[in-house]
Amino acid sequence: MTGKTIVITSGKGGVGKTTTTANIGVGLAMRGHRVVVIDTDIGLRNLDVIMGLENRIVYDLVNVIEGKCRIRQAMIQDKQGLELYLIPAAQTRDKDSIEPAQLRELCAGLEQEYDYILIDCPAGIERGFKNATAAAQEAIIVTTPEVASVRDADRVVGLLEASDLHRPRLIINRISADMVRRGDMMSQRDVESLLAIEVLGLVPADERTISAANRGVPVVHDTRSTAGAAFLRIAARIDGEEVPIQEISPRPGVFNKLRDMMGMKGRAYSHA
Amino acid sequence: MVVSESPSITASESNGADGTAKRRAVNITGRGSDISFIIDEDAPIDEAAWELAKQLSERRGALFSEGGVSVNTGRRSLTEGEKAVIRRVFEENSGLTISRFVSTIGDYVIESEEYPEGASPRYPWRYAIRRSSARAGDLDRLLTRLAGGSQRNRAQALLIRSTFRSGESIHHYGDVVVLGDVNPGSEIKADGDIVVMGALKGLPHAGASGDNKAAIVALEITSPRIRIGDCEAAIGTTGKKQRVRKRGRDAETRQPSIAYIRRGAVYISPFAGRFARYTKGVLYDG
Repeated sequence: MTGKTIVITSGKGGVGKTTTTANIGVGLAMRGHRVVVIDTDIGLRNLDVIMGLENRIVYDLVNVIEGKCRIRQAMIQDKQGLELYLIPAAQTRDKDSIEPAQLRELCAGLEQEYDYILIDCPAGIERGFKNATAAAQEAIIVTTPEVASVRDADRVVGLLEASDLHRPRLIINRISADMVRRGDMMSQRDVESLLAIEVLGLVPADERTISAANRGVPVVHDTRSTAGAAFLRIAARIDGEEVPIQEISPRPGVFNKLRDMMGMKGRAYSHA
Repeated sequence: MVVSESPSITASESNGADGTAKRRAVNITGRGSDISFIIDEDAPIDEAAWELAKQLSERRGALFSEGGVSVNTGRRSLTEGEKAVIRRVFEENSGLTISRFVSTIGDYVIESEEYPEGASPRYPWRYAIRRSSARAGDLDRLLTRLAGGSQRNRAQALLIRSTFRSGESIHHYGDVVVLGDVNPGSEIKADGDIVVMGALKGLPHAGASGDNKAAIVALEITSPRIRIGDCEAAIGTTGKKQRVRKRGRDAETRQPSIAYIRRGAVYISPFAGRFARYTKGVLYDG
């Protein structure tokens, strides 16, 4: 069996890389795959918290790489018993504790046994980014529809294309249909036209994502969540299934209809 | 400027004190009086600068190069700010001057020549960007020039076959053609003209060797700042309140446009002209 290593990155912090990693990981595992998620944000680990596995950590990524434990000892299985394993980052070390080549070797080993290895990349484009991207064969870029976040994503696309990760795919996270309609937020088309890369999925802004993360249960488990459903569709697309991209549409309301009829539409940003 | 198939640049490996193979941030190679400094593309720039300073001061007086040395940065193209750091390190730690920076984009090798001291453009004038339709005479002059009718520098054009993204920067001594968008946060410096088959949103500098007659053509120009020759222009420096109707503004900027200098301002004019009528006779010209 030969698995695939995918890095989830963004450039900017706080756009939802870790949440995306956790949810895609669960989504792929729910589809019957064997999945490993690796947190490479050494010093600022979060993935364990979002997956609700914080109190089970004994060994971490740096321990594995330094040979202090076997890789199986650092892998924590998902709470729901899926074939999903987390390798947490070390909290008391820094990004320089590992080298890109070491992570590449680790992932190459995991690819023999697992279907998908997802790497949660830290924010920034320095050492942590280089560690995380060195091991991957594919890249997913997460951005929110904000000018700053899209600008950073653009920089990252450039860096990935300059290295060997061609054709990264894009997830636009936290789209608020109402704000897009009012013209206060970049639409998915604005983002797509600037970044000019393939869109893997659109995720609506959903309060349930936050409460799910706080409870340590990724939002894909929540069948009533629109964001959860979006992550499931993304997992299906990664898996090679043809799922059409669903536009994020606002709840229809009398006021919205009225506004559309009057043709009111502003633009809060000048150019992206 | 030389465009050729890129040889992959490998930094030499040396064993660090801890026994692990550690790449050095800076390597020096030399053939005769051609010295080039290879800066590891993955090394942080401050680390590289520090290493460079160390190596330069160790060999102070031992390195000579008449025409200046070249600095090779692999797949990383340095920003102007980073280049300034490297230049300062050379100034402070050696008698050497940099003649060019070399980097690769995809399969192309980009060599950007350094200006001799004092010749670097300083953008003495802060111009305004004005949008209006071009006068026929201006358009004639610009299109004739773009079509190659004038006997000017016929340096080989650089063709960039992808979107030029934030953080990327190049300097080419001829014309530059981009098949894609030029995104915000990127810099294109060309001693000739710049043609963008897409939206221009980054920072362009046409005629960078001081040619104020250079022009910039793009399918849409929304750069907040434009440089041509030794002039720089920015949106919002007119003093006039820049309140434009949104709908009108979109229609105005989202069309093929040409930017050029005329009488103390950089004009951006709609450009629906065809090159064909200006290329008469030129097709047979060398």
